[in-house]
Amino acid sequence: MNSPNLPVVSEGSRLTPGELHSVVFARAALGRRGYDEEQVRNFLQYVERELVQIFGDKAALADEVNRLRALAAKGTRGVMAPEDAHFQAVRILSQAQQTADLYVADAERYTRELAHEARLHREAILSDAKGRAEQLLEEAHRKAAAVADAAVRTAEQMAPPVARPDTVPDGERRAMEREIAYLRTYSDVYRTHLRSYLEALLRNVDEWESSERASLPGVTPGGTANPPG
Amino acid sequence: MKDSFAQVAGEGDSVALFFYSDLFVRNPHLRDMFPIGMSGQRDKLLRALGHIVSQVDDLPTLVPFLQQLGRDHRRFGILAEHYPNVGASLLATLRHFSGPSWDEEIEGDWNAAYSLVAKVMLEAADENALSTPAWWNGHVVAVERRRFDICVLRVQPDRPLPYQPGQSVALEVPSRLRHWRYYSMANAPRHDQTVDFHVRLVDGGPVSPVLVRGTETGDRVRMGSPIGTLTLDQESGRNVLLVAGSTGLAPLKAILEQLAGRPTPPRVHLFFGARTRDGLYDLEDLTKLAGEFPWLTLVPAVSDEPGGHGFSSLLNSGDGDVEHGNLSDVVARHGPWDGHDAYVCGPSAMVGHTVEQLARLGVPRDRIRLETFADAQR
Repeated sequence: MNSPNLPVVSEGSRLTPGELHSVVFARAALGRRGYDEEQVRNFLQYVERELVQIFGDKAALADEVNRLRALAAKGTRGVMAPEDAHFQAVRILSQAQQTADLYVADAERYTRELAHEARLHREAILSDAKGRAEQLLEEAHRKAAAVADAAVRTAEQMAPPVARPDTVPDGERRAMEREIAYLRTYSDVYRTHLRSYLEALLRNVDEWESSERASLPGVTPGGTANPPG
Repeated sequence: MKDSFAQVAGEGDSVALFFYSDLFVRNPHLRDMFPIGMSGQRDKLLRALGHIVSQVDDLPTLVPFLQQLGRDHRRFGILAEHYPNVGASLLATLRHFSGPSWDEEIEGDWNAAYSLVAKVMLEAADENALSTPAWWNGHVVAVERRRFDICVLRVQPDRPLPYQPGQSVALEVPSRLRHWRYYSMANAPRHDQTVDFHVRLVDGGPVSPVLVRGTETGDRVRMGSPIGTLTLDQESGRNVLLVAGSTGLAPLKAILEQLAGRPTPPRVHLFFGARTRDGLYDLEDLTKLAGEFPWLTLVPAVSDEPGGHGFSSLLNSGDGDVEHGNLSDVVARHGPWDGHDAYVCGPSAMVGHTVEQLARLGVPRDRIRLETFADAQR
């Protein structure tokens, strides 16, 4: 600008309406009418540059707005409206809760399965024990009966066939001897088996107890309760 | 409003999930009032909401439900100031799931409805607070393990705990905070205020394993207000039939003790059933009672063991006469029961079958009082 009354614009600032309003052109040279052509042409060029710049800025801003809108819609980065931020937080918390629920459900299923298996195991042990006990009684009975028969046979061979008036009749005596021999043997066999069986059972119970103490919830060697979970 | 709720409720669990997340994001301090796992909690919320909405036109039914709900919530530490928070999140949830059909009119309706619900609940809670504590602290004074998975606990409450025999309380143990499970008092009120609970371990449950296997004398528990309708019909002069499956014995034993306190008790038949003999965990004590009271007939029964023969019967001799078969069939064999009031408690299948049999035998339905336990005692 070679005219001193044109607005002086520094780098980066724009032409303002006020400046436009206060523009004063010099008169044309003597013998000619109107404004100085040179000044007017220069000014129009200046206004054109300004307009180009403004349109450019406007387009850039529109791009920026679109970019930010897209970002906000995607909800990935950038600044979010408070409403969106809230939904985002609700979503994250919901996911965390679902994960926690899944873990709790898994843990519950696992303990349920374990307990169920333990229960089946216990029933198998019990029915096995019952079976063994019945077998044991059966065996005791068989042995005792055999011993009793043998006792009767021996008594028959040894005893003289004379009848004594002050004693019980022969048949009854033999029956009693047989009974006594049976009971004695039965009780011996039964007692031996029962003792060894009970000892084994007690050993088992001891093992279970000590392993159970180690695994009880809420009980530690120090006697303090574990925190939940 | 019903239509609006039907649309939202169609989304099922995600509605409750959104509600609680919204509530906790807005009010993080409320999270501690709930257990870590929330699946059960969400089910409860949806059930309660569905119940309220379906009965919104039937105030005489709805109001007592809401009053009980309000009283129940006292033991969770819920205060008046929490209600608006819940209401705000409820509206936000409904709005979120209603989509375009949501408008100011519907929002206004819901707001008014919630305010009313909150008012009824709060008034009931406040009235209840005048006479009853929000919860009772208690400590365990005796633990008797009757079987590897059944335990009888005796608890001393820190202040008088008035209840009717047959009622139950919600129970919370310190190592499983925010998990409340219902157990019946197994005795009529005593002078020393102690109460007995019969606890059976439910595989995979969070609370019952701790109660059965991890509880020792001196341990602390919290108890809610006694509730329940399996109580003695005081007006009736009829004879009494008690049918108990497993730990369903607890409320019926309390009723039995109450009857024993009368000057002239009615004739009472007590059927006590389990799958196997070792499941008859209280038989010793019941046999003693039957010996003591000439008006009491005790019939124990097992369903999963064959009739006695061989060594098993020898091992079990001394237990008295245990009958075999499903408890409902055993009860039916001993009929007729048409002159009796029946009280039935136990697993739901057993209770269902027994009620069916009794109805078939001509016992009017209104003379049968019953209770089942299922998830209530996990």
